[in-house]
Amino acid sequence: MARRGAPVDVVGVGRTFALGGGEVEALRGLDMHVPAGGFTALIGPSGCGKSTALRLVAGLDAPDEGTIDMDGASPDQMRRGQRIGVAFQDPSLLPWRTVSTNIRLALELVGRRHDTKAVSDLIELVGLQGFEKARPAQLSGGMRQRVAIARSLVTEPDLLLLDEPFGALDALTRQQLNDELQRIWTARGTTTILVTHSIPEAVYVADEVLVMSPRPGRVVAHHGIDFERPRTRELLLTDRFHAEVEAVSASLHRSEGQVVQLDTDPS
Amino acid sequence: MSDTAQATAKAPVRSGASGLDRVPPRVLSAAVGIAVLALWELLARTVYAGSYRLSPPTLVVVDFFEYRDLYLRNLWHSTKTAAWGFLWGNLAAIALAGVASIIPVLRRSIGAVALTIFCLPFIAVAPILRLITGPGNGTPITLSALAVFFTTYVAALLGFDTAPGSALDVVRSFGRGRLAAFRRVRLRASVPAMIAGLQIAAPAAFLGAVVGEFTGARSGLGILTVRALGALHTERIWVIALMSTIVATGGYMVIGALGRWLCPWAPALDVGAVPAARQEPGLLNRLAALLAPIIVVFVFWYAFLWVFQIKPFFAKTPLDVWAELFTNADAAETRSSVFGALGTTMWTTSLGYVAGLIGAVVTAVVFVLIPWLERALMPIAVALRSIPIIVTTPVIILFVGRGLLTTTAIVAVMSFFPTLVNCYAAMNRTPEGILDVLRSYDAGSAAHVRNAYLPTAVPALLASARIAVPTSLLGATVAEWLATGDGIGAVMVIAFTRNDYNVLWVSVAVLTLVAVIGYWLVAALELRTLERMAPGTSR
Repeated sequence: MARRGAPVDVVGVGRTFALGGGEVEALRGLDMHVPAGGFTALIGPSGCGKSTALRLVAGLDAPDEGTIDMDGASPDQMRRGQRIGVAFQDPSLLPWRTVSTNIRLALELVGRRHDTKAVSDLIELVGLQGFEKARPAQLSGGMRQRVAIARSLVTEPDLLLLDEPFGALDALTRQQLNDELQRIWTARGTTTILVTHSIPEAVYVADEVLVMSPRPGRVVAHHGIDFERPRTRELLLTDRFHAEVEAVSASLHRSEGQVVQLDTDPS
Repeated sequence: MSDTAQATAKAPVRSGASGLDRVPPRVLSAAVGIAVLALWELLARTVYAGSYRLSPPTLVVVDFFEYRDLYLRNLWHSTKTAAWGFLWGNLAAIALAGVASIIPVLRRSIGAVALTIFCLPFIAVAPILRLITGPGNGTPITLSALAVFFTTYVAALLGFDTAPGSALDVVRSFGRGRLAAFRRVRLRASVPAMIAGLQIAAPAAFLGAVVGEFTGARSGLGILTVRALGALHTERIWVIALMSTIVATGGYMVIGALGRWLCPWAPALDVGAVPAARQEPGLLNRLAALLAPIIVVFVFWYAFLWVFQIKPFFAKTPLDVWAELFTNADAAETRSSVFGALGTTMWTTSLGYVAGLIGAVVTAVVFVLIPWLERALMPIAVALRSIPIIVTTPVIILFVGRGLLTTTAIVAVMSFFPTLVNCYAAMNRTPEGILDVLRSYDAGSAAHVRNAYLPTAVPALLASARIAVPTSLLGATVAEWLATGDGIGAVMVIAFTRNDYNVLWVSVAVLTLVAVIGYWLVAALELRTLERMAPGTSR
């Protein structure tokens, strides 16, 4: 399968928010590289700036320092070029639209409202045939999340950004959607960044897992995951999978220890 | 253009797109206020000089000081009247809400009576009440009490209902009943909603008092206004309108501050934006839901006539109204005059409401897209929303003149401010995730408005519209009664002066029925929309 999409290069990015009179430094010196068509998972303790990082890459927010480059384009240019697809933990569907018109929203926004085939293909890809006319309120949490993923993919973006899209789902549905996500990524080959809390999820779906430090967040460990694809649920039971999960877990614990170090030694 | 939309909802401090974003809101509002006053003075001294339509603010102030004894005496009188009405109306509303909460079977019937009271054309009820209370202060006090009744009832019941279920379960687990649950949990939990209700009751009480005085009183701002209107004493009408505004808004603000002091944890609640109550399913339930309130209202009607022993010449029963409309010798004549006038009133009222609605939605959209404008003007809109516009009807009559347009203008002004405030608040609650999705495709302002802001505002628009049906009809009938000589308000004032109590009762009954039906139609539409768009938000 030919890989497509844009490579993402994040260099020395920092972002500070003003909060009730004080300041919160969310990111400091964040570096990461995602190759074209790569699948990178971003993992880290709560509040470490994972979502902030993703919003910066999506062009929804701008860094205070550092650069983000995608094949020569800035995130804002990518966003304005309508080359990014996003899905968040909250599926953020329009409650007054049906499944298919929610997916079509993205096409309407990029000026391809009549591409009905793209919509029906995506509905099939995420397994929602028969629910085209249903409204979000009639769907389960997992189905809503499928709609959100379909919406993020329908414009065939060069970059897919997923912010804990399965965070609110039960373990079984989550595993099911991880399988789907892997299948979709294999079929489409879009550069993908997934923010997640779950180490097994990250190891299962991604090519590379980046571990972030507590606030101010930066990448403190890289784990290349080279299990062959397609990965199946049998992989979850293997020792090499557990070893990889253990390794990432150890990095994560080490990173949590670094908060003390960072506070005492600001270099 | 999406930069502006982005700045509305999210505020990374650095993104000061416009220098005006950094000016404190108070300074902006004050600047706008001064600009409006200056423009007013200028217009009154040039375009409208010597035309009775607009008094320059300076002359209004001069007039106030010249006649301050007269003004303050009458203001004190009306305020006292409103205070008594406020007290009795709210006590009755809270007591009945308590009964409805403890004995759920009675809930629908009490609710129907409350809604019927809310839908009464107060201006025409005043002469009927005067038969009972005599020429003194009783009628304005009663009207003032009736004016606060419905909203306080709704707010109190909402408060009782929002009591946490777990706390109610604790009371029940100790083997205690509804009464204990009410005393120990519901009453306490209802305080924030109750205060929100009392807050809008303050201007409403003032409105009731002044409308009561419009139809005759020994003193008070209402009767002073009617005399000034007759004498075309322009400054006096402006002084009275401004004093009424200040006192009514002052009451609103004092109770609001009291609420923030008493329960600072409670979120601000807008009783005007409370969703409609859900209907129980089933044909039998629906039939009972329809019939029980009608029966209760008729029982109340007869009880009212019986308790006060009004002479048959003045007192008309439901049967008398029916006869006057359908079986009496002059029934056809009554029908054509009442329904013809009703048609005019409904037409001018709808026109005014739609104009106010469109204006409000457009303004809300502009505010969402241009934040500094919102910060400058919204505080003014919020303050103006609490003004009982009906009290300022004479000012609008002066400015617009006496004609069909007067009614339309009054209803438009009445609907504009509450709709704007509710609509903007709803648009501002558009889920951040939806906005992020739109931004991630670089969607423009138009796409934001079409796909996010407008649809999000629809439930709030319908909630405002439901409340606006009775209040708009009240505004229209007051304008017609005082000034225009058209519509059902004029039919009622003519019937009143000719002692034609048949036509007066028929008009009151028909108008009330129209308002109730309008209220229920909008409520039904609102429930359907909520089911579709935001399941689980109806009560």
